[in-house]
Amino acid sequence: MEINDQASGERKLQCDDVSKCFQLLESILDGELGDSGKEVLKDKLAKCQPCFEHFHLEQAIRDVLKTKCTKQPVPTELADSIRQMIQESK
Amino acid sequence: MSEVQRRKYSQEEKTAIFDGEFMPHIDSMYNFAFRLTFDEDDAKDLVQDTYMKAFRFINSFEQGTNAKAWLFRILKNSFINEYRKKSKQPAKVDYQEVETFYNSDDVDYQSTTDLRAESVKDMLGDEISNALNALAVDFRTVIILADLEGFTYEEMAKILDIPIGTVRSRLHRARNLLKDQLKEYAQSMGYNTDEEEED
Repeated sequence: MEINDQASGERKLQCDDVSKCFQLLESILDGELGDSGKEVLKDKLAKCQPCFEHFHLEQAIRDVLKTKCTKQPVPTELADSIRQMIQESK
Repeated sequence: MSEVQRRKYSQEEKTAIFDGEFMPHIDSMYNFAFRLTFDEDDAKDLVQDTYMKAFRFINSFEQGTNAKAWLFRILKNSFINEYRKKSKQPAKVDYQEVETFYNSDDVDYQSTTDLRAESVKDMLGDEISNALNALAVDFRTVIILADLEGFTYEEMAKILDIPIGTVRSRLHRARNLLKDQLKEYAQSMGYNTDEEEED
């Protein structure tokens, strides 16, 4: 596989180091790199199609997990029963 | 600050910490417990147990540190030590197995799926929840901690008693497994998973 310069827009269609890039992108999405990640990210997304796609898929997955996962209502008596158990144990 | 850890709290301080720092997390705690056990009664027992232990060992909680992470760690340990044994739905993958076979920090970060971001965004809450619930408990756990509860890698490492590198690699594997699940949904629902769209 030689370098593929056939870009969609200006992005290259093959990533030179998928493993390293994807790990980096995932760390950035998980908020582990702080502001220093932002510049790297801008650069990667502008230049590399696989990175661009991977980033958006990973971001979509994090978003739907955060916003759409069904929440279980806490049983109303739970807090009171905990307080009572603590009281009795004192 | 290390002195603080060793001193004993007064009754008033204990009550203040318990009400002010522990109880506000009951919602997250219950949901974590429910996602581990899939059973309302087991989840309730697990949360109760956790709060009882938290109160009993309150002197080892350092005020000003992350109470939520501290509580989650107790809950996770209670789950492993007690509930998993008698759980109605035994875990498909044993913790030991995961430690042994999946804990290498070397992960192959390859693009393995043709799942599209657009189809993920179209999915319903139930579909997402079901996909998450279908994962083995260890993988489910890291996703809950990272994506639903917003813990950092460092906090997760403490909650799970594993190195940060293992948090990162397990999370990566967990999300890949989740993608496989979502891809099946996408295909069964007729969502577009191939490159059919014109740009």
